[in-house]
Amino acid sequence: MKNDISTPVKREDVSEKLLGTACYIGDLKLEDMMYARTLRSTEPRARLISIKYPEMPLGYFVVDRKDVPGKNIIKMIIDDQPYFAEDIVNYIGEPIALIVGKDKTIINELISKTNIEYEKIKPIFSIDERHETTTPIYGDSNTFAAYRLKKGDISEARAKARYICEDIYETGYQEQFYMETQGVIAEYQEGKATIYGSIQCPYYVKNAVVECLGCAPDMVRIVQATTGGAFGGKEDYPSLLAGQAICAAIKVNKPVCLLLERDEDLEVTTKRHPSRIKIKSFIDENHKILGMDAEIMLDAGAYAGLSGVVLQRAMFAIAGVYNIENIKVKGRAIATNKAVSGAFRGFGSPQAFFAIEMHMQNVAKKLRIDPLQFRLDNILKQGDKSTTGGVFRDKILLHEMVARVMEMSNYAEKKRSFQGSDNQKRRGLGLSMFFHGCGFTGNGERDHIKGKARLIKNEEDIVEILIANVEMGQGAGTTMRKIVSAALDIPISRVMYRNPDTDRVPDSGPTVASRTTVIVGKLVYDAAVELKAKWQQGVQQQAEIEYQYPEGYQWDNESFAGDAYTSYSWGVNVVDVEVDTITYESEIKGVWAVFDIGKSIDDRNVKGQIDGGIVQGLGYGAMEVMENVGGRFKQRTSADYIIPTAMDIPMIQSELMCEPYTEGPFGAKGLGELSLVGSPIAYAMAVEDALGIRINSIPVRPEFLMEVAENDKRNHFKTKR
Amino acid sequence: MVITYRPKSLMEALEAIEFIDYTVFAGGTDLMVKRKQLAGLLPSFDKPVMFISDLAELKQVTIKDGFLYIGAACTFADIIENSLIPEIYKEVFMQIASPAIRNSATIGGNICNSSPAADSLPLLYALDAALVIENSCRRAELPISDFITGPGRNILNSSELVTAVKLPIQSFEKTCYKKVSSRRSNALSKISFVALANIENDVYKDIRIAFGSVAPTVIRSLDIEEDIITMSSQHALDINQIARDYATLIKPIDDQRSTAFYRKEVCNRLLADFLGNYAAASLQL
Amino acid sequence: MINEITLRLNGETRTLDVNPLKRLLDVLREDCGLSGIKEGCGEGECGACSVLIDGVFMNACLYPVGKAEGKEVITIEGLVGTENYEVLKESFEQAGAVQCGFCSPGMIMAAESLLRKNPHPTEHQIREAISGNLCRCTGYNMIVEAVQLASKRGEGLW
Repeated sequence: MKNDISTPVKREDVSEKLLGTACYIGDLKLEDMMYARTLRSTEPRARLISIKYPEMPLGYFVVDRKDVPGKNIIKMIIDDQPYFAEDIVNYIGEPIALIVGKDKTIINELISKTNIEYEKIKPIFSIDERHETTTPIYGDSNTFAAYRLKKGDISEARAKARYICEDIYETGYQEQFYMETQGVIAEYQEGKATIYGSIQCPYYVKNAVVECLGCAPDMVRIVQATTGGAFGGKEDYPSLLAGQAICAAIKVNKPVCLLLERDEDLEVTTKRHPSRIKIKSFIDENHKILGMDAEIMLDAGAYAGLSGVVLQRAMFAIAGVYNIENIKVKGRAIATNKAVSGAFRGFGSPQAFFAIEMHMQNVAKKLRIDPLQFRLDNILKQGDKSTTGGVFRDKILLHEMVARVMEMSNYAEKKRSFQGSDNQKRRGLGLSMFFHGCGFTGNGERDHIKGKARLIKNEEDIVEILIANVEMGQGAGTTMRKIVSAALDIPISRVMYRNPDTDRVPDSGPTVASRTTVIVGKLVYDAAVELKAKWQQGVQQQAEIEYQYPEGYQWDNESFAGDAYTSYSWGVNVVDVEVDTITYESEIKGVWAVFDIGKSIDDRNVKGQIDGGIVQGLGYGAMEVMENVGGRFKQRTSADYIIPTAMDIPMIQSELMCEPYTEGPFGAKGLGELSLVGSPIAYAMAVEDALGIRINSIPVRPEFLMEVAENDKRNHFKTKR
Repeated sequence: MVITYRPKSLMEALEAIEFIDYTVFAGGTDLMVKRKQLAGLLPSFDKPVMFISDLAELKQVTIKDGFLYIGAACTFADIIENSLIPEIYKEVFMQIASPAIRNSATIGGNICNSSPAADSLPLLYALDAALVIENSCRRAELPISDFITGPGRNILNSSELVTAVKLPIQSFEKTCYKKVSSRRSNALSKISFVALANIENDVYKDIRIAFGSVAPTVIRSLDIEEDIITMSSQHALDINQIARDYATLIKPIDDQRSTAFYRKEVCNRLLADFLGNYAAASLQL
Repeated sequence: MINEITLRLNGETRTLDVNPLKRLLDVLREDCGLSGIKEGCGEGECGACSVLIDGVFMNACLYPVGKAEGKEVITIEGLVGTENYEVLKESFEQAGAVQCGFCSPGMIMAAESLLRKNPHPTEHQIREAISGNLCRCTGYNMIVEAVQLASKRGEGLW
């Protein structure tokens, strides 16, 4: 009997990781390798007047903008960010040059002896300053992206509304804090550039390096080293490191290693966008939401990066899981003189879902009706239309998922027993509902990525999967091998996957956007089907498949109309907290979760993604504080940027429900990001529930709760007097 | 190159520091972070370094004349595992940092590092701990509150070592230790609070209260403690008054870990909760 | 004054000519070629560099090699090949305790250290024992389960 594909199998990468023999970028030593360290701006915004380097000893070099053979602009969406600062610096930590040499002690000395003369420019630190500034960082309005989205007729909804409710929500920075800091090693030999790195997207790096060097694409090769976690943080930033390192390798004519220190990584690499979201909803007498008017502002930092796309995802998610027929959304990604905000698991969606879920809860409280019932009454169902007017084609199992998660968590009884407790420690429950659109937003897969996957079979009938998608801990290698093994009906031991090398693998696209299983997995599946059809034993064969936009879907990128995604995964989370009313510290007592990710390709990997995402989400909602004052982060060491430990987390009970996606491999949908989206919301709601207060920002710090409590007390005394 | 030295005995160590100004290195868990350079580079020590964590004389836990002496090079793990140490003391040490740090970090190091956030200090202040300080020819005892003079500052001079901590062996009927931090392990404290008391017929006979991380040094006030005892003997415990008195001493700051407002408020609340019942006390400061 | 450091490393006596202030982490990675030990923070916060020194669980990033004179240092490479390692490895694999793997050698050291002291730990004791080892992938629970599994499976070993 054949195993169900969901049954866990042994991962190919685990053994060497446990042995300690897996080769991360820091473990790779090339002959004659030099080290590089970055000379960084200490000003948030300034003109570079002069840079006085000490005399370079023999074998030590400065590498800066003058050493970029091609374009000194990192290839991303907007051409604004240089590898090395030209005449202006826009954030503290912005790279100005590399100092390269054999001995790190000497490099360090050379950096400390370098004098940079700045002419300060008035910096912009807050998204509020946009209106006042006469010296924008970018464009005329200091905005990297400004979009509008319209569905239905908002003015009609407004006219018909019995109740109007408006709230503002804020979310903070979050740092990926992958355990392995970022790094690359660059080598240049006989005109060919090779980059080894801890990366998510080999072809992003390749395309960037090609432009940086101004060379032919086949003169650049990117090899992924074993990657110690990424979570979006190694989507865009490695392009910068790779470009810098290869310029250095060319100049010094030796391999150059550029690894970030932890504190450096915390301070200068990309983070999740802080957001401010205003939601105004229009509700009729039957408590149906007629319309929603929302405004989303993202703090993008000093350069555009991926902010426009993050903003789109936030905008398209702003109605949450609710069927709202009339929608108007304005979105802006605003430039500030801070480190660049970038990709982080969820990519705009955690901010939007936090706002809409908390808002729905608050609306019900204002209307004095049961919040959960109100939310369930307005929920999306099959056939309803998304914010962009795309049809939800597949069944939406939210009602069943909510019923199941309530059963698992003993929700009703807990809720009863928690009520009215006036103890020093108060318990509360929160329930969040959310989805994640799988794959690239809008026309990404169809027009930009156009992913290709290839299978090669050798004479021994061993099949190798050639894709550009990386194993970074999530289990992509095993997932792909299982898909191919099942489709070809051969043992998994006969299917190989290796870390991608762009000289060997086609561009199947980046390892982002919860696309690897659902999109690339399908390419790999289709290639396997093709290979199977022409299978000849003992003969070398191959099959290659290119992405086809599924039939019946459509998207217009100008008007943001149509199917923003071709498939959706869904989730429901319950969090139970106990809050100490003396210190306002909370303890997470329980977490329950139900997800619909279509067919699970490997239950153990799936659980790993669920647990890991939920805990990262709890960190985001509960404890991961990163504040920026005057352009400088206050939390910039691993002692001060706090992520959860094993002591902060209880066991997580999770289950799966399955509405398959017909275009996914075996009916699978995306999961990687979904698992992070719901837990911060359920956590914040649970704290609201425990304390009977309103929460409109995350992370929910005890410091914030204390201020709310003390203000309440003061107001209480005032009204009494 | 900076010289390192591993004395074989305490006497050797004391003799060595008589003439040479050493950086005394015990567990090193704070020193190595402070002196950290880039990955792969030597930590930046500017003076000769003397490793003392293996000196047997500094690793003893003994009871003498009714006092408990904990050798300065005892790690927090040593202390937690030692049967001579009372449970309430252990409770404090168990919440310090993480297992690996507790295996390395020493009580003497924590004291000599003199950080306002050092987790062992509020307890030691509350217990009226004395430090045994030795040089090559003299041995003296000094109350811990006279030893630490400011954040990272103390009166130890370069020819002396703190060799032991002397604690009374005393039991308390009512105890409270609270470390407030951003997570449950491996965290620096935002506030730490120790209160120890003995009560007879509803009257405080002995009370010691200490606050950490909320001023340049640990806060303990013998005057206020005496007031508490007096008020209590007259059955007129005025928690608001006591909190107001402590408020003049508690001077927290806003930093990367917490806010001054929160720290101050939590101190008040923990105090009120210990002395009465926080919910009933409803402070009006 | 010492420059030559003699220690036992993974069962072998080694004499190293290194600066005694050099971090044990760097000595192991650079001078001894042991790359299973990782640097995640260099500040004793993450536990990726966990080793056993005379059987005691330590962060090698906070440990100058000079302090290790005459001591026994065990890294993941030294554990590999033992029966304990086999049980831990299988349990970690089976429980899904490994994702990106960067924390894994340190986690194994933490588990080994715990089980040596306490062969039948409670869930809370396991959480406590790995609380200085950060993991950003798994959310810890599958690691906790792995240690529970190892404790059961390795009955009598520790």
